[in-house]
Amino acid sequence: MKRYGEHRFPGKLFIVEGIDGSGKSTQLMLLHQWLQAEGYGTVFSEWNSSPLVKETTRRGKKKQMLTPATFSLIHATDFADRMEHNIIPLLKAGAVVLCDRYIYTAFGRDVVRGMDPKWVREMYSFAAKPTGAFYFRVPLDVAMNRILNGRAAIKFYEGGMDLGLAEDAEESFKIFQGRILEEYEKMVPEFDLTVIDATLPIEEQQTQMRQIVKARLAQAKRLRVAP
Amino acid sequence: MRETYGVVLPGMNLADLTGKLIVIEGTDGVGRSTQIKLLRPWLEQQGRAVLDTGIKRSELAGKGIQQAKEGHTLGRITLSLFYATDFADRLENEIVPALRAGFVVLTDRYTYSLMARAIARGVDPAWIRNVYSFALKPDAVFYLRIGVDDLIPRVVFSTGFDYWESGMDLFPSEDMYESFRKYQTALLGQFDKLAQEYNFEVIDATPDIRSVFARLRDGIAHVLSGEPREPLFSVPKPPAEPEEAPGPAKVVEMPAAAKPATSEGPAEAPAAQTLVKAADGDASR
Repeated sequence: MKRYGEHRFPGKLFIVEGIDGSGKSTQLMLLHQWLQAEGYGTVFSEWNSSPLVKETTRRGKKKQMLTPATFSLIHATDFADRMEHNIIPLLKAGAVVLCDRYIYTAFGRDVVRGMDPKWVREMYSFAAKPTGAFYFRVPLDVAMNRILNGRAAIKFYEGGMDLGLAEDAEESFKIFQGRILEEYEKMVPEFDLTVIDATLPIEEQQTQMRQIVKARLAQAKRLRVAP
Repeated sequence: MRETYGVVLPGMNLADLTGKLIVIEGTDGVGRSTQIKLLRPWLEQQGRAVLDTGIKRSELAGKGIQQAKEGHTLGRITLSLFYATDFADRLENEIVPALRAGFVVLTDRYTYSLMARAIARGVDPAWIRNVYSFALKPDAVFYLRIGVDDLIPRVVFSTGFDYWESGMDLFPSEDMYESFRKYQTALLGQFDKLAQEYNFEVIDATPDIRSVFARLRDGIAHVLSGEPREPLFSVPKPPAEPEEAPGPAKVVEMPAAAKPATSEGPAEAPAAQTLVKAADGDASR
C-alpha cells in the first residue's frame, strides 16, 4: 500500500483548496481551459462525487444522521473510491488531473468537528501527493461577502450547524468557516501549500497559477495529446 | 473505566458506559449467528437486557455497502473505509447508548474481522489499526476457531460460496472453491495473529452447536459475574490521555453478584485508580 508521498506516475496532479468564497473553483476552471488549449490531456475530479458512496452521503446529510466521526469516514470512503478508481489510473495513464478540494479540506473540516488531527491525516495517507497544491487565502469577511449575497439557504453541514455554534445559520456558517481558515493556515507550512492571494484580480491570480503549473509540467511535454 | 484503542470520538463519555461489550468473532460460516441466537434468550432469562448487532446493520451505511458490493467494483481501501463508516455509525448510535443503559451488547464480529479482511487484501496493518483506533475495547472477545477443511463443508451445505467470502476480488478464478480455500486460509492466518495480539478467548468451533454454546455460555457467565480477571488486552495506552479521577463505586444490584468487583483496566494503571466499578443493571437509566 502506497503512503502519502511523491507518486512516480507519469501524470500530474494539481489541486486547489480554500474556504467557500475564496474563488478557487473559478481559478481551477480557468486553469482547466488553458491546459486543454495547450493540448494536455486534462481531467477534472470533484470532491464528494463517487457514484458508489454518493447515495449514502446524501441520505446521511438529508436525515442529519452524520456525527463528526461518520461525516469524516463517509467522506474518506468517497475520496478513496475516487483515488482508487479515478485519480490513480488517470495518473498512471499520464493525465493532468485537477481536483477541486483534496485531503486538506477533510483535515480542516474534520478537525474543526473535533476529530483527532493525527488520526485524520493517517487515514488519508493513501492519497497521492499533489504535484502542486494551491491554497487561496482570503480574509473571512471578503469570502462571506462574496457568497452570502444572493445565495440559496446554507445547508446544515455546510454551515457547521451540527456543531451548535450559533442558532442562526449565517452566523454558524461564519464561525465554522473562520475555524476552517485557522486550520488551513496551519496546513500551509505543514504540507507546503502554494499560497495565492485571493483578493487580487482574477486574471492576476490565474497568471501566477499558470506560471507555477507550467514550470512543473516542463518535463511533461509528452503529456500533450493534441498539437 | 472503559477505554478505546487510541482516539476518543468527540462527544463520547467513556465514564458512563456501564454495560458489557462482548464480541463473538470468527470467519464466514463458522456459526456465529447461530450461537448469538442461543445466547440472547439465555441472557434474557437471567434478566439481562441484550442488544445484538453486527456488521452492515447500520442505518447509515448498511444498504450502501450492500449495493456497492453487488457491483463488485469496490477497491480495498474504499471497502475498508465503508465498513469503518458502518461500524462508527453502529458504535455511536447502538452500542454506546446500550452500554450507557447497562445492556449486555453481543456483537456478531467487531473491528477484528474487518481488520483481518483488509490485511488479507494487502492493506497496511498499521493504517487499518489507526482507522479503528476509536473502537471501544470490549470486555471479552470469543473467537470461534475452525480450520479451512472443517469450514468448507459447512459453507457448501448451507449458503454456498459467496463472491466476497471467497475473495473472488483477490483470487479471481473460474473455480470458487479454489478461491474460497485460498482466501479463507489467508483470513484464518490473520485471525490467529489478531487472536494473539488482542488476547481473544479461543473456542474450538468444530464440535456440535450445543457444545460450542456450552463453552461460550461459561465464558460469558464468567465475564458477567464481574469477578476480577486477568486484563484481556495488553495494547499500550496512548501517553497523551489525561487521567480521569475514579468515580464513586456503584453497587451491583443483581442478587447473583452482590459484591463489588474490579474493572478490567490495564495492568499498568496507577494504584490510585484500581477499583472503578463497571456495574450492570439500571445504573444510568
